Amino acid sequence: MTDVAVPAEVVAGHDAHDDGHHTSLGLSNTKLAMWLFLGSECLLFGALISTYLLSTANFIGEVVAGNPTVLATIPEALAEEFAAEGSVSPIFDIPFTSASSFILLMSSLTMVLAHKAISEGNYKNLRIFLATTAALGASFIAGQVYEFTVFFREGITYDGNLFGSAFFTLTGFHGVHVTGGILMLISLLIVSFRGKLQQDRAETVEIVGLYWHFVDIVWVLIFTIVYLIP
Amino acid sequence: MAIIEEPLALPAGEPGPAVKPLGVFTRPRETTGLTTWLTTVDHKRIGIMYGAAAMFFLVIGGVAALLIRIQLATPNNTFLSGDAYNRIFTMHGTVMVFLVVMPIGAAFANYMMPIQVGARDVAFPRINAFSFWVFFLGGLMLNTSWFLGGGANGGWFNYAPNNGIAFSPSTGIDYWSIGLLIVGFGSLTGAINLITTVINLRAPGMSLMKMPVFVWMTLVTQFLLLFAIPVLTVAQLLLIFDRIFDANFFNVAQGADPLLWQHLFWVFGHPEVYLMILPAFGIVSEVIPTFARKPIFGYPFMVFSGVAIGFMGWGVWAHHMFVAGIGPLSVTAFSVATMFIAVPTGVKILNWMATLWGGRLILNTAMLFAIGLVTQFTIGGLSGVSHAIAPSDTQQTDTYYIVAHFHYVLFGGALFGFMSGLYFWWPKVFGHKLDEKIGKWNFWLMVVGFNVTFGPMHILGLQGMPRRMQTYDTVMGFNFWNMIATIGSFVLAVGTVLVLWNALVSYRRWKAAGSPNVGPDPWDGRTLEWSVQSPTPEHNFDESPAVTSLDDFWHRKYVEDENGQVRRVATGDELAQPGNPEGVHLPAPSYWPFVLAAALPIIGYGLIYNLWLIIPGALLVMTALYGWALEPADDLDLPDDHGHGGDDDDHDDGGPPGGAAEELETVQ
Amino acid sequence: MTNDTHDPGAPNWRDDAADATVDPVMTNSVGSAARSRRRLAGLVALIALGAAACADDKPLNIFEPAGPKAEDIDNLMTFIWPIVAIIFVLVVGGGIWLAIRNRVKPEDFDYDDLPEQVHGNFRLEMLWTILPGVLLAVISIPTVQGIWNLEVKNEAAELDVMVIGQQWWWEYRYDIDGDGFFIDANGDGAVDEADREWPLNLVLDPDDVITANELVIPAGQQIDLILTSRDVIHSFWIPRLNGKRDTVPGRWHTWSLEAFEPGKYTGWCTEFCGLSHARMRMSTIALEPADFDAWLANQAQLAEVPTDEQALRGRDIFANQCMSCHVITDGEFEYPEPFEPPLTSGAAPNLTHLATRTTFAGGIFATYLGPGTEPNDDAFDVANYVDLATLAQAPDSPDDFRWNTPQLKRWVSNAPALKDMAPDDGRGMLPFPQLTDEQLDDVVAYLATLD
Repeated sequence: MTDVAVPAEVVAGHDAHDDGHHTSLGLSNTKLAMWLFLGSECLLFGALISTYLLSTANFIGEVVAGNPTVLATIPEALAEEFAAEGSVSPIFDIPFTSASSFILLMSSLTMVLAHKAISEGNYKNLRIFLATTAALGASFIAGQVYEFTVFFREGITYDGNLFGSAFFTLTGFHGVHVTGGILMLISLLIVSFRGKLQQDRAETVEIVGLYWHFVDIVWVLIFTIVYLIP
Repeated sequence: MAIIEEPLALPAGEPGPAVKPLGVFTRPRETTGLTTWLTTVDHKRIGIMYGAAAMFFLVIGGVAALLIRIQLATPNNTFLSGDAYNRIFTMHGTVMVFLVVMPIGAAFANYMMPIQVGARDVAFPRINAFSFWVFFLGGLMLNTSWFLGGGANGGWFNYAPNNGIAFSPSTGIDYWSIGLLIVGFGSLTGAINLITTVINLRAPGMSLMKMPVFVWMTLVTQFLLLFAIPVLTVAQLLLIFDRIFDANFFNVAQGADPLLWQHLFWVFGHPEVYLMILPAFGIVSEVIPTFARKPIFGYPFMVFSGVAIGFMGWGVWAHHMFVAGIGPLSVTAFSVATMFIAVPTGVKILNWMATLWGGRLILNTAMLFAIGLVTQFTIGGLSGVSHAIAPSDTQQTDTYYIVAHFHYVLFGGALFGFMSGLYFWWPKVFGHKLDEKIGKWNFWLMVVGFNVTFGPMHILGLQGMPRRMQTYDTVMGFNFWNMIATIGSFVLAVGTVLVLWNALVSYRRWKAAGSPNVGPDPWDGRTLEWSVQSPTPEHNFDESPAVTSLDDFWHRKYVEDENGQVRRVATGDELAQPGNPEGVHLPAPSYWPFVLAAALPIIGYGLIYNLWLIIPGALLVMTALYGWALEPADDLDLPDDHGHGGDDDDHDDGGPPGGAAEELETVQ
Repeated sequence: MTNDTHDPGAPNWRDDAADATVDPVMTNSVGSAARSRRRLAGLVALIALGAAACADDKPLNIFEPAGPKAEDIDNLMTFIWPIVAIIFVLVVGGGIWLAIRNRVKPEDFDYDDLPEQVHGNFRLEMLWTILPGVLLAVISIPTVQGIWNLEVKNEAAELDVMVIGQQWWWEYRYDIDGDGFFIDANGDGAVDEADREWPLNLVLDPDDVITANELVIPAGQQIDLILTSRDVIHSFWIPRLNGKRDTVPGRWHTWSLEAFEPGKYTGWCTEFCGLSHARMRMSTIALEPADFDAWLANQAQLAEVPTDEQALRGRDIFANQCMSCHVITDGEFEYPEPFEPPLTSGAAPNLTHLATRTTFAGGIFATYLGPGTEPNDDAFDVANYVDLATLAQAPDSPDDFRWNTPQLKRWVSNAPALKDMAPDDGRGMLPFPQLTDEQLDDVVAYLATLD
């Protein structure tokens, strides 16, 4: 066993660390890294969602019990609605948020189409779909901002009470992630316009797409847990 | 590779145009000097820097420990005020956990793991550099609190509501949360990097079950980091928002539950302690077989027990909260779960003992520390099992019995393992061994000092001395053992510092002797790092090693002959790769990781002192991100060993990490 | 409940006629100082004999349980500690033995002299995976039983006590009227279910007895506790009686204490709570049931307005300087409602019967100096600390116990100098540098009348 056969391509002097040649999972380094990162993000959002659930439950408990310190932080009418419902649902505008969620979902579709376009070498469509995805994402953010201003006017502020802090933190973090995604999409768009995003780099678009889809899925989760389930 | 880089189809050797994406910060061109360290992306240099930084913080944490012991040597001592004492013990714990033990683990993982899997570097060299700098600069920022905010003062786990602005108005806790948040980015990006490396960059033939145990433990550690750090991040963010933006997450008046902090912290905190010990377990699993001259006993069980610890570690966090009022049902569940996590750990201890059994033991310093880990960690593990018994824990928790427990597992366990690794791998890293005579003094003074310091703490705890007490009273009966512990701590300090002394003396002697090279394989080792020259060549391997078995290198040296006897057929020196860098190109150094890392503390200081400061910090972050993304992985203008023209650069050098702009690169 | 097995060498002091120096009913009497000394002496006598029987050089030692819950915990571990010791010897001893036995001297090293290259032994490894698991499963059974036993309440008890932690002292409220509730936390005028789990206001509830530092309980009876906090998380721990339980603001936790014998059992706050975590101490004093009833009856009384001139002057100073935080219910002081002391935790110790307590300032200083100790200028002299050994000596005369005027004066004059606090932040007691030495004498003399 003193003689070890060394594979030819190794002898040729390729760095052993390059490749997509012999990865165990069939994922390139960058794609694997993105999956790992998204795995860690699951825990991040998991902790934020748990915090939201606990905080809101505590908040409603205090409102229902009539805790004056807590009641002082929201308008009386709103407090009555919360107490009557036993939840914070009265403040949500479900139809509006549903529309804005739908927009975000559609942006995932356009993201997929963008990847398909670059895989086929169709750069015009790539740009159209990248731009559309970014625009849809921006509309979603605009919708969120609008919703936040409505909440402020209705008396739910960030520092006012537990619900405000928890809600704005959770949705705010999600919004920051969406914004980051939009920045990435715009960067890709610019690079494409410079002619440097070619078909052989389709994986880059795919990886950004992974991130975008993740952000979308998190929103589905948040929408369900926060808005839909009382 | 940077997204806008055009692969220049030039024949080899021809210089391409210099790339100056933003008009500043072209690729650094120096090959020696301080800039090379600032801009290096070489995993080995990064590993050395992790180690050096950790040693620096070890001195800070150690001085804090000595101050604690001086204060506690006698009852009603006034050496430290209550406030000073609280800051010192908080910073001692925080620095030791986050800035010493974790980075030393990272040091070994960064340096050794790629070589042990047969790779030339990690998957994302620039991200690797970023991980180090963000840890170091975040750690420095945390320690500026000594001068600026007086140091954090809420205990290393910083419970709410005491950590809020009402009860801790000084900025110390802001430094704690923001500084550690920044340090956490380093751990997270490092985890992504190292996992990708282990999964994707192994040498041909090295299947997962042929990897060294150290690599396995590193892999499990990185997964623990990947999932635990975000939870801590959330806890720290909630605290920052409470303190700086008046959020209400821990505001009891508004109905918040302080236990939220505890849950979030310990969901991080328990995997945290496993990720502190697993690298040391891995190191010892390399050292013991090497110096027992036989393979690790039960490789599959060693691997699976490590993985089991990784999984089970997620299910036991509330054993830190047995008396926090979580209710008997929860206490039952976590008590039973905690007892069972002793099983995989016990398997490891027994397997190490079985490796020693029947071995021909070479008791050099590395081996002594390794056997030290086995014995000392066991003591900590036994006290740990007694904590798992929840009714008893209602007496033990928050006393010096717990302090004894975690020092036995962290110092007697993790740190002893790291000392073993230092002595073991020093020749590979630096080309000469550490002096054995000083090493023996190092070991014995540490073992004796350590046990004299922390052994009595078991007694103190069971006699009722709670932890985090700046003083105590004669009537309580704690005087004698506290004095003993203080004496022990000074012996321990001398012993610990001896390793630094050893490094210095060994280096001087080596230089004086004309720097004779120790050779690639001074210990007759088993794993791939001993198949390259010492110190490790910059490119690691001339050719990718082809692996056919576990301990492949060993099996090329020792073969079964016709009688079934195992005999040596080749030496390490004969088999080692000569270290010829021809035909190899390496990832080029870069400023951007450092710049990006430096931008984060600016935002941090802005959060504490003046929110306007966040704007330049954020701008610098964006600049660094784009500069990084636009920078090609290779500057084709550089001298030969940093870039060959022509080859499309396929170093998979990932783009910048973090939430905003993700990697913008792809793979060929 | 006689539990003679616990102190086999101790005199069964319950048979001794306890010196009838306890005067349970307040009467007009000679001088307040003398009266309180007698009362305190009586209290001390009762605990002294019990305390003398226990080793109190390690008053927090968990291996000397003095109550059933602590004893249950100790018994649970009776089998565990030997197992731990055996494994310790086997592994640590084994490791050392293997190292010595199998070592090869450097000069004897031979590359070809390899030991048998054993890779493992599946059966053996399965064995030492499964056996420890089985052992732990066995241990988990009494463990789980123990967990639930600790939570068992004493339904038959008539009295519940609420324990409230705050920076940096302990308050106790006795539910005398038995309605199960302790304070009007939400300020709606009723003390009821709606008051649970809120930051605790200090509405003066005449149905409760409010004391501090020393939790007095009847011996031989399980007293159920309700634990909470007004500010940060503390932890209530009397090691010889039971394990600890955290006190968390906004939450009510249940726990219990029972002492086999009368005696004094020391404790310490065991969750880091800030500057004076190390100086937040308490004790539990167990009395014979009859004595406890007498004690409780006394505590339920209003404080007397003194007749002594010096004490009256001191009372006036109290009204001017101290009433914004401290409560003394004597029927004449008028407190605003709601009563909101300018303190972060919202409360200062109730001083109505201060002279019946053996400690003050969060359980760290003695209100009475025992025989053989002299007052001196050193605030941190051990004489000023609770000295169980001293108090355990049977007093030859009540005059052996002197009101600790010097230390009380120091405390009133400059409390932050004796105990790390942050009074500017509303956490802890303010210093009163404006009080002259005579005024301090007056105030302390008034405090001495509060029995």
